[in-house]
Amino acid sequence: MLESLHLDWSVFAIVLGGALVTWMTRIGGPWLVARVRLGPAANAALEATPGAVLVALVAPAALSRPSDALAAAFVCLIARRVPMVVAVAAGVAAVVLLRRLL
Amino acid sequence: MSTDGITIPASPRQEFAAGVVHCLPIVAGAVPFGFLLGSLAAKAGLSALDMGLMSALVFAGSSQFVAVELLDKNGSGGSAGLAVIGAILLVNLRHLLMGATLEPRFRGIPRARAGLALFFMTDEQWALALRRGPELTLAYWYGVAATLYLAWLASTVAGTLAGALIADPTAWGLDFTFIAVFLCLLAGFWRGVGSLPPWLASAAAALAVHALSPGGTWHIIAGALAGGAVAAIQGKRRARDA
Repeated sequence: MLESLHLDWSVFAIVLGGALVTWMTRIGGPWLVARVRLGPAANAALEATPGAVLVALVAPAALSRPSDALAAAFVCLIARRVPMVVAVAAGVAAVVLLRRLL
Repeated sequence: MSTDGITIPASPRQEFAAGVVHCLPIVAGAVPFGFLLGSLAAKAGLSALDMGLMSALVFAGSSQFVAVELLDKNGSGGSAGLAVIGAILLVNLRHLLMGATLEPRFRGIPRARAGLALFFMTDEQWALALRRGPELTLAYWYGVAATLYLAWLASTVAGTLAGALIADPTAWGLDFTFIAVFLCLLAGFWRGVGSLPPWLASAAAALAVHALSPGGTWHIIAGALAGGAVAAIQGKRRARDA
């Protein structure tokens, strides 16, 4: 129980920093609209950033070996058709199987 | 509620209750998601208190997954910590666009009150608020916000407490969980074939930079920049053709 109440100060500093930048993105929208007009290019770039970050995060790990790449492709196929928890569980099951086979 | 064409405004309490009810289906989806995040946080060595503070103060699901993954891989010290904050910022940049569409709703509200209310703006909060249209009230907003906030806090902390009980998560292919989660989150950002070019650019840039400096977080920055640049070109072209 005591372990669950342990506070890591370096993690806490990250949490505070992350909280501040996140809050700024939340209040920044209305603030920006009242002052500047974003062009279509800036708009499209902002819109694409979260997806690009996620792609960059997974690409090296997902393509590290054939079994993981296949399982990743499988998750992509089912991700929009089933609830997320189901897709994740199926993906993990697939990777365990594929790693044994390949 | 309307008699002779005159609408009687709902009381704040009714508005709050409507917000709570409308986000219940979302809560059903968010709770397992939060639980999963918590168990991954435990694997990364975060305590329930660490996780609880992150959920309470950052309160942004996708970025918290990214943060936990980076903490697991690179730790929290020095420049690794700054990279985590940078990654959280990048994932949450979309809030700027979401907030921009809500600007008309917040126009008459004093700045401090708007600043507090906007702290709770998540993807789900935004979608419900937008659907409410011009009738959106602060009471409705807080009905949604309070429910989502409590559900998120409780489920992530519970997940961390439960996750700490699992001895060796990697033995069960659980190291793949992050990849699967990120791919599911990515699927949520799919807007048709036009999403593909920025994503491919990001993948190419990330793989190239990762090959040069594995282990760091530079490949994420490279991917974000490459994806953003391609999207900017697409946006410019769309505007020209329109």
